[in-house]
Amino acid sequence: MDLFLQRLFDGLTNGSAYALIAVALVLIFKATTLVNFAQGEQAMLGAFIVLQLWNWGLPMWVAVIVGMLISGIIAAGLERTFIRRFDPADHLPLVIITLGLFLVLNAVAAIVWRYDPLAFPQLFPHGSAITIGNARLSWYSIFAFGSCILVLLLLHVLLNRTKIGLSFRAVSSNLESSRLCGIKVGPTLQFGWALAAAAGTFGASIYAANPVLQIEPSIMLRALIFSITAAALGGLDSLWGALLGGLTIGFIQSVLVQYIPFIPNEMTLTATVVVLLIVLTLRPSGFLGTKTVERV
Amino acid sequence: MTDVLLKAENLTASYGQIEVLHGISFEVYDNEIAVILGANGAGKTTTIRALSGMVETTGTITFKKEDISEFESDAIVRKGVAHVPQGRGTFPELTVEDNLRVGAFIRSDNDVQNDIQNCYDTYPVLFERRTQTAGSLSGGEQQMLAVSRALMSRPELLLLDEPSLGLAPQIVEALFERFLIMNKDHGTTMLIVEQNAQLALGMADRGYVLEAGEIVIEGAAESLINDEAIIRAYLGG
Amino acid sequence: MASRFTFTKGTPQYRNYRIGVWALIIAIFLLIGFAFVDVGSISIGSNKYNLSLIRLNKAIAYGVAILGLQVVIGYTGQIALGQSFFFGMGAYISAWLVADHSWPFLLTLLIVVPSCFLVGMLCGLPALRIKGLYLALLTFGLAALFPTLIKLDSLYDYTGGANGKLTGYKFKAPSWLPLDEIAQGLQTIPLLGSFFGDGPLSSREESRLWKYILFAIVAGICFWLISNLIKSRPGRAMRAIRDNETSAAVSGINLAATKTISFGIASALGGIGGTIYVAEVGIASPDDFSSLVAIYLIVGLVVGGVGTLEGAVIGGLVYALIPDWASSTQSIAFVPERWLQGPTGSLILGILLIVLTLFMPGGIATAINKAKGRFVSIKAANSDKNSESVAQNS
Repeated sequence: MDLFLQRLFDGLTNGSAYALIAVALVLIFKATTLVNFAQGEQAMLGAFIVLQLWNWGLPMWVAVIVGMLISGIIAAGLERTFIRRFDPADHLPLVIITLGLFLVLNAVAAIVWRYDPLAFPQLFPHGSAITIGNARLSWYSIFAFGSCILVLLLLHVLLNRTKIGLSFRAVSSNLESSRLCGIKVGPTLQFGWALAAAAGTFGASIYAANPVLQIEPSIMLRALIFSITAAALGGLDSLWGALLGGLTIGFIQSVLVQYIPFIPNEMTLTATVVVLLIVLTLRPSGFLGTKTVERV
Repeated sequence: MTDVLLKAENLTASYGQIEVLHGISFEVYDNEIAVILGANGAGKTTTIRALSGMVETTGTITFKKEDISEFESDAIVRKGVAHVPQGRGTFPELTVEDNLRVGAFIRSDNDVQNDIQNCYDTYPVLFERRTQTAGSLSGGEQQMLAVSRALMSRPELLLLDEPSLGLAPQIVEALFERFLIMNKDHGTTMLIVEQNAQLALGMADRGYVLEAGEIVIEGAAESLINDEAIIRAYLGG
Repeated sequence: MASRFTFTKGTPQYRNYRIGVWALIIAIFLLIGFAFVDVGSISIGSNKYNLSLIRLNKAIAYGVAILGLQVVIGYTGQIALGQSFFFGMGAYISAWLVADHSWPFLLTLLIVVPSCFLVGMLCGLPALRIKGLYLALLTFGLAALFPTLIKLDSLYDYTGGANGKLTGYKFKAPSWLPLDEIAQGLQTIPLLGSFFGDGPLSSREESRLWKYILFAIVAGICFWLISNLIKSRPGRAMRAIRDNETSAAVSGINLAATKTISFGIASALGGIGGTIYVAEVGIASPDDFSSLVAIYLIVGLVVGGVGTLEGAVIGGLVYALIPDWASSTQSIAFVPERWLQGPTGSLILGILLIVLTLFMPGGIATAINKAKGRFVSIKAANSDKNSESVAQNS
């Protein structure tokens, strides 16, 4: 029982980080039905920017916020330069561009910061907050989850209570009618990219702040597939679905896979991909997805 | 008092290589209701989309004496042209109230809430469903919402693309009565594209008949309604 | 016409032109083989660029895998990103059969092709229900999965786990093939002879050259089959689906069958590529088939030219040579050393991918065809426009 509880707590931690990257993916998918394969690398780059700012002497939380702003601006620039010129309905060139960005961002981070793992600022207090039997819930897990919820609430307010949020939802729902209501579609989507990158940067920062992890350029390579699965589980267009998906993947990883002894450790990724396969094949709208899925 | 509000001269429109409108010219005067009639594929929808800057065009479009031919769609809306597209064009995932808010997107005054209330007074059913998503409304309710949403931008010219399409006759009648009231009470100028010639000509001041991308007949609605050719082709006479 | 030479299809002149072009290509191919069998590098400044047959053999393997992507992405328009999965599958099946069951290498294709075809078709089944990005996600997941799958403890006996699977197979040129004689003959050519090395071929060089020729024949058969497929009825059905799925469906094309078969063929080609790859490197190791490889194969597809057969050849060369050359570049004027030591190859491939998508969507193959069109134009024998465009693609 203790072990189960411990695994549950572990799942919470990783799940929160996956959820945040998944949220970033969902933001862009909602707006344009594009899956941004570079999202994980954008988040990784953002986390490195945070690290750099911190190394330059900024207080760590200021560094996180400034890092989110900078990666948002970078994303807005990427959208303007590479994405906007393509017809949003023609997926192939857009997927190829995001794969290209994936390679470029990963390489640039590796060239600038090298492959040596670096210590990331410890954003949250150390130690365990709650002990039940032998299971410990660390402060890190609590804060990671808490800040994940906080970000989602902020996003929820931003999208549902502000004018730019309204225009973003309008564009996601009906591109042509949005134009006919006087909404400038391009800048609205650009805003979506910036928002997604900021959320992703926050997610990667939380992930890298895990006391047992250090940051290096390939930190998000594995996390990306977990986040994609999380987003798909949630339905690809639902923010709260992404949270649910992220936590589910986190739990699958730690509970299912490590608790049952005859499933080896490597199965985490396998189990995740199997989940992805099942969801996409049998229930493409996931837990909370609303959009009618493209059917043949 | 009867100034030209909208004027299209020698307007062509094409989708890729295919030209759909071959240089048509027409006018809409202040405070009137103008209709464009025509069969399927005559280019009616293309005409109205051309006015909103949504297809490739040549020729000139003047609105309030300003050349808007090169304007983007969103800029045209800001000038005071609202467009209710074919198939309603609501935002299915947004609530009814949010749909109305999006309609008022270009406005920054404090009257928005008032106008929303006015929409609800006109169509109480929208008030009842204000927290439901637009996608859950019936066809008639969606059309009410689409028209209300377009009016939320306080347009000087309202473009309506086949508003009667797919609706039951009683609903269509109520809808067109509403158009007439809007026109008489608020002086909203309208350009309506319709297949239902009888209904449209019955309330319009001016009519144009489009055939294969060209205007073949034009004139006052009263004279058109008695025109032999129109009766034969469109009124089933 | 601005073209200097004009050929009409079906005439003897056209046939001679075709034979001439192919003879030239084969001759150049063989000369490259003999020239680089021993030296295997070009020096520019202080940088040495590897052009050994090892590289070229890898290029052949990648080229065949990219040919598969041409079928599914280029001709059928389905965004499938998981080619590294089938590339790896082919490689491991071959390695296992050769190492544990002493099969001759080429015979393993008898197992590789049908099994990759079947698994590909199975993976294509979800594509019938979902399209666009859902498919891209699913296949990307498969690509990410492969190395992990290989490292599973329960498969250790077959795959060798993280250590990889050695094939332990030696390719030996048949004794009737006068490779050595040809090499020595080429060396006697005045002035140019020195390019072809010195003295008789070592047994290693001979085996390398034999592999080069053998792989090229396998690849050539694949390309020939696909070029016929594209011109055939199912090939036209694929292109119809790519151009407009709805109108393809209403003109009576069986979407389900065409898509799954296209997936199957693509996967089989991925498997053949994998077999060639492992035949060249002699070991199948899990990280040679990571999702990064899947992306690199997409780079090859795009840079070579989506929807062209030549694009697969060019793409294979790009993938095999550019990352390698980038890492062997030690110094370039005005470029800080740091930028040459990291994953420069990955950076260049990423930039190529973006730049070509933006400015040259047809890839290098289309650009070459345009340039060729200035000198040679081919007219159809009758007014059949369709066959003309096919002729220019082949």
